[in-house]
Amino acid sequence: MNEQLRAYLPTPRVAMRVWLRNVRVFSKVWKQGLLPQFFDPLFYLMAMGFGLGTYLARVNGIPYREFIAPGLVASSVMWAASFETTWNIYFKMEEKRLYDAILATPVEVPDLVAGEVAWAATRSVIYGTTFIVIVALFGLVASPWVLAVPPFLVLGGACFGMLGIGFSALAARVDLYSYYFTLFVTPMFLFSGIFYPFDKLPDWVGTVAWFTPLYHLVNITRSLILDPDLGTVLGNSLWLLVLTLVLFVVPVRWMQRRLVT
Amino acid sequence: MSAAGAAVEAHGLVKRYGALTAVRGIDFEVRPGECFGFLGPNGAGKTSTMKAIYGLAKVDGGELHVLGLDARTKRREIKARIGVVPQEQNLDGELSVRENLVMQATYHGIRADGRIDELLRAALLEKRADSKPQELSGGMKRRLLIARALVNDPEVVVLDEPTTGLDPQARLAVWNLLEDLKGRGVTLIVTTHYMEEADRICDRLVIMDRGEIVAAGTPAELRERYGQPTLEGVFLAVAGHSLRE
Repeated sequence: MNEQLRAYLPTPRVAMRVWLRNVRVFSKVWKQGLLPQFFDPLFYLMAMGFGLGTYLARVNGIPYREFIAPGLVASSVMWAASFETTWNIYFKMEEKRLYDAILATPVEVPDLVAGEVAWAATRSVIYGTTFIVIVALFGLVASPWVLAVPPFLVLGGACFGMLGIGFSALAARVDLYSYYFTLFVTPMFLFSGIFYPFDKLPDWVGTVAWFTPLYHLVNITRSLILDPDLGTVLGNSLWLLVLTLVLFVVPVRWMQRRLVT
Repeated sequence: MSAAGAAVEAHGLVKRYGALTAVRGIDFEVRPGECFGFLGPNGAGKTSTMKAIYGLAKVDGGELHVLGLDARTKRREIKARIGVVPQEQNLDGELSVRENLVMQATYHGIRADGRIDELLRAALLEKRADSKPQELSGGMKRRLLIARALVNDPEVVVLDEPTTGLDPQARLAVWNLLEDLKGRGVTLIVTTHYMEEADRICDRLVIMDRGEIVAAGTPAELRERYGQPTLEGVFLAVAGHSLRE
C-alpha cells in the first residue's frame, strides 16, 4: 500500500483510546446530559403525533403518530451525532486545546477522527435506542424487527458524525456553526420524509431528499419498525456506508492542516 | 542517519508558516542525559522548534532526528518515547487530576497503575488527585503537565517555557522536579526566556533570535566568550537588543 494512502488510515486500537476518553467523560455526566435531548423528539411526537395526528386520518394506511415515530428515532440520532461533532469538538479542539495534548502522544490525526466519529455513533445509538423504548411504550411499534434497529443507528450516527467533524475541521470560525444547524440539520429534519411521504409531492422533492443521509436513515427505521423490507434496509444502509467512508478523507486532511502546522 | 547516540539532532532545520519563516535553517545536537536550553525572546522560533521535535509541526526543510528516528516519517514512534510539556495549559478539564494521568497512559497504550501514584507523589499532587485541573493553582497545573509528560517513562522530555507565569516558589518546585529527572538520566530540552533559569538548569544552551541560533555553549562558556557576567548580558552582546523588547 502506498505511503500517502496509509497516512489517511486509522489504527483501530489507537482510535479506541480516543473513544475511551469520551466514554469515561460521558459515564460521569450522562445523567445531566442525557435527559434534555429526549425532550426534543418527545415533544415533536406529542405535538405532531398526538396533536396534529388527531386531525389527520392515515398516511399510506398508517396512523399518523405511528408514521412519524420511526422518523423521530432517526432524527434523534442525527441531532446527537451533530451536536457531539460540532460544538463539543470545537470546545475540545479550540477552547481546551485537548487535541494538541492527544496528538503529542502516539495518537495520530486519522485515529483521532475515527475515535471521535466512533464516539458520536455510540452516543447516537444510546439516544436512538432509548427513544425507541419511549416509542414502544406509546404502542407505536408494529414489528418485532425493531430489535434490529440499533446497529443501523450506529451507521447513521457515524455518517452524521463524519459530516459534523468534517464541517468542524473546515469551519474557520465558531459563528459558522449555527449555519450548519440552520441551513443543514434543521432542513434535513423537516424535509427528509419524517412528517409526510413524498408520493403526492412533485418528484424533485423526493430527489433532493435522496441526497440527504437522514432520508435514508428514516427509510431504514420506518421499514424495520413498521413493515420490514430487506431491500429497503440494505439499499439505504449501503448509501450511508459509502458516504461515511468517502467523507473520512475530509476531516483527516483538514484536521491535519489545522492541528499539525 | 543521525550520529550514534544523539538524543536530538538537527541540520539546517527550517519551519515556515505561510510567508513567515519561523526557523531559518538551524543546527544543534542534544546529547543523552543533558539538559539543553533554547534561550531567546518571544518569536525567536523556540516553540516552532519544540513542535517539530514532538510532531505538532511539520519539518519544512533540513533534517531532524529524535532518538535516531526521522521526525518527518516516524512521528508515532518518536512520540511513544518522549514526553511533552506544552507552553499552553491543555489538561483535560472534564477529568480529575488522577484521570488525566490514567488517560495519558491509555493514549500511549500502556498500563501505568503503580506509576501514577508515584508521579502524583513526585509532583506533590497526592492530596489533589480527585480535583479537577481548573481547581489547581498555576504551579500545580504546571507540575501536573510535567507528571503527565512522564507517564510513558520518556527518554527525552521537551518543556516549552516550563516556569513562565509562575511565582518564585512555584518555579523552584518545577526546577526541583527537573533536576530530579536529570539525576535519573532523562534528557531535557527546555525553552525559556529567563536567563536565571537557563543558568540554573541547563548544561548547554543555544541562544535563538529571529529564527536563527546566534550563540551556543555552556552558560559559563558563553559568559566568558562575550565577557559578560550574566547570560542577559550575553544575549544583549550577540543579538544587539535586549531579551524583553
